Amino acid sequence: MFSWSLAVRNLKRRRLRTALTASGIVVGISMMFILLSLVSGMETQARSMARALGGADITVSNSTSFRDRMGGGGFFGALPSPSTLDASIAETISGIPGVYAVSPQFSFSGSINGRRVTVYGVEPASYEIVTGGLNIVEGRFLSENSDGEIVMGKAMMDFLNLTLGQTVNLSAGQEEEGRIFTVVGVFETGMIFQEYAGYVTLADAQNITGEHGLVTQILVKCEDPSTVSDVVSLISSTVPDVRVTTPTATIQQASQMLNTLTMFFATIGLVALFAGSFGVINTMIMSVTERTREIGVLKAIGAKNHNIMKIFLAESLLIGLIGGGVGVAVGSILAYVFPMLTSGLFAAGASPFGMRNPFSSAVNAGLGGRATSTIMFATPAITPLNITICFSLGALVGILAGLYPAWRASRMKPVEALRHA
Amino acid sequence: MPKLIVRTIDLSKVYRRGKVNVPALNNVNLQVSSSEIVGIMGPSGSGKTTLLNIIGGLDKPTRGKIFVDGVDITSLNEKDLADYRLKKVGFVFQFYNLIPILTALENVEIPLALMGAPKDERRERALNLLRMVGLENRADHKPDELSGGEQQRVAIARALANNPSIVLADEPTGDLDSKSAMAFMRIVRDLNRRNNQTFIIVTHDPLVVEQCTKIYTIRDGRVESA
Ligand SMILES: Nc1ncnc2c1ncn2[C@@H]1O[C@H](COP(=O)(O)OP(=O)(O)OP(=O)(O)O)[C@@H](O)[C@H]1O
Ligand SMILES: [Mg+2]
Repeated sequence: MFSWSLAVRNLKRRRLRTALTASGIVVGISMMFILLSLVSGMETQARSMARALGGADITVSNSTSFRDRMGGGGFFGALPSPSTLDASIAETISGIPGVYAVSPQFSFSGSINGRRVTVYGVEPASYEIVTGGLNIVEGRFLSENSDGEIVMGKAMMDFLNLTLGQTVNLSAGQEEEGRIFTVVGVFETGMIFQEYAGYVTLADAQNITGEHGLVTQILVKCEDPSTVSDVVSLISSTVPDVRVTTPTATIQQASQMLNTLTMFFATIGLVALFAGSFGVINTMIMSVTERTREIGVLKAIGAKNHNIMKIFLAESLLIGLIGGGVGVAVGSILAYVFPMLTSGLFAAGASPFGMRNPFSSAVNAGLGGRATSTIMFATPAITPLNITICFSLGALVGILAGLYPAWRASRMKPVEALRHA
Repeated sequence: MPKLIVRTIDLSKVYRRGKVNVPALNNVNLQVSSSEIVGIMGPSGSGKTTLLNIIGGLDKPTRGKIFVDGVDITSLNEKDLADYRLKKVGFVFQFYNLIPILTALENVEIPLALMGAPKDERRERALNLLRMVGLENRADHKPDELSGGEQQRVAIARALANNPSIVLADEPTGDLDSKSAMAFMRIVRDLNRRNNQTFIIVTHDPLVVEQCTKIYTIRDGRVESA
């Protein structure tokens, strides 16, 4: 029928009213959009974080070390010499019921070609079993006989202008003499700061630092993920003076918090949308009243109730689509501007929602306290899904708000409508 | 003997205004043969519009029956009445009642669109109808760019779009000058002769009355033959 051209022309004829009505929806939709984008941004971070932390259910480290390091220079700064555990503790832990595999690790702040970088010494086989391994994008991971081989992060490779197969000089500190390592693999995590790192064998790490027989963390994988907390208490009671953390559990907690945040944001957005929909209802009732006579004429020449309904629903749907479209556009701009506006806030360590950033603690735990929270804050992610959701939501509000006015229009008695001035 | 197209039997209409009953039609027995041009006259408030609305299926009588083409339209439900108006009846109003935001052509297309005619087909038919009323060169004009007489010619083109058996017109020349009124009636006469369409026209206009084949007068809700 003429529903669409009638709707378009009627809305055009009353541009200001259309704009004002649609702006009610724009407010709600753009709000929903920026909030959804923020949540998506955090989700993306959580996911890559979870990947970076791998499948290690539990991390065991020296209980005295952690606190010492909190005030340290952070990831890029100088670190005091690492606090260590005796490597034999790994044996003890692997004997604890519920433990599937353990992987000792020696991480230290070393220097590659004179650049400060985090170096992880790992046992390749057990490391892959416990964590699921790194996301290797070039070359390969370490193996049992990888003496003198190193796997480096993509960002670090780019930074040092290195390619696969080249050699680097790795030392325990900038002043110390190093050893030559060959780059055999490159990994990516999606988070730049995590890629300023290198992986060598545990033995090489111990040799370079001279800390023979010592490790900094023991990564543990449980037989059953649901028994993690039981295993944690068993480790704590069996091995004295260790700090036992559960990075993946922390990530899970963080995602739960995200869910709560999403609900909270969604509620705010919905309330705004609800208010906006009243504007649409109001405008549509006005529009129906103004065009009462037109409705009478259309009925007189044979329009059925559903024809009339369609004309007005098309109009309110169009308002919803305009509101949804502009809302997404405004929301995108806000999502883009948002990090700039709040970057000062983040740098100061505060979170925009008055709560602690859930991820920094997870990373601190997982990487032995090396990550800092300043890099962690979420940048909103503009995803096609969010665009679709918000746009459809605008359309839905338009339709729902138009239902009652359109129904009223469709039920008008033709004779009475025709008599209307 | 031409066939009867409209037959009313003891048609009565009583409006309730609060607690007061307002009789508008009183036992109207009217017979209209097909291909007639019937004029209905009568003083203001005598029930002319009421009768036309009931014949056109816009309103329901309080009592009585009305057969159109053999069908008792008082027994039709709302949806079937809408269908009846769409296919059997064409309305022409005193104040044209074109949709202001649609062009002349689009206004004529409405009944065709309501019938579900494909776009090309209805465009062509609407153009033909506009040609018939001499307005093919004004097809893309909006109603407010047309004179009253031109608007009324668009209105009659719209009323004829679905080739109805009856065309009902309520004071169609009431707002037109005599030249436009004459042009309008010439179209009515042509159509009536060419397509055997029946016209029932409520009017005070002598120019219209002149062209009618039959005249009835309503007084206080009763129909008298003139
Ligand atoms: N909806 C209504 N409610 C109450 N009374 C009505 C209604 N419609 C019409 N009437 C009354 O019914 C009577 C007939 O009205 P109608 O409109 O049919 O007259 P008419 O002959 O068309 O008059 P006019 O020449 O002024 O148009 C009048 O007394 C009018 O006041
Ligand atoms: Mg009247």
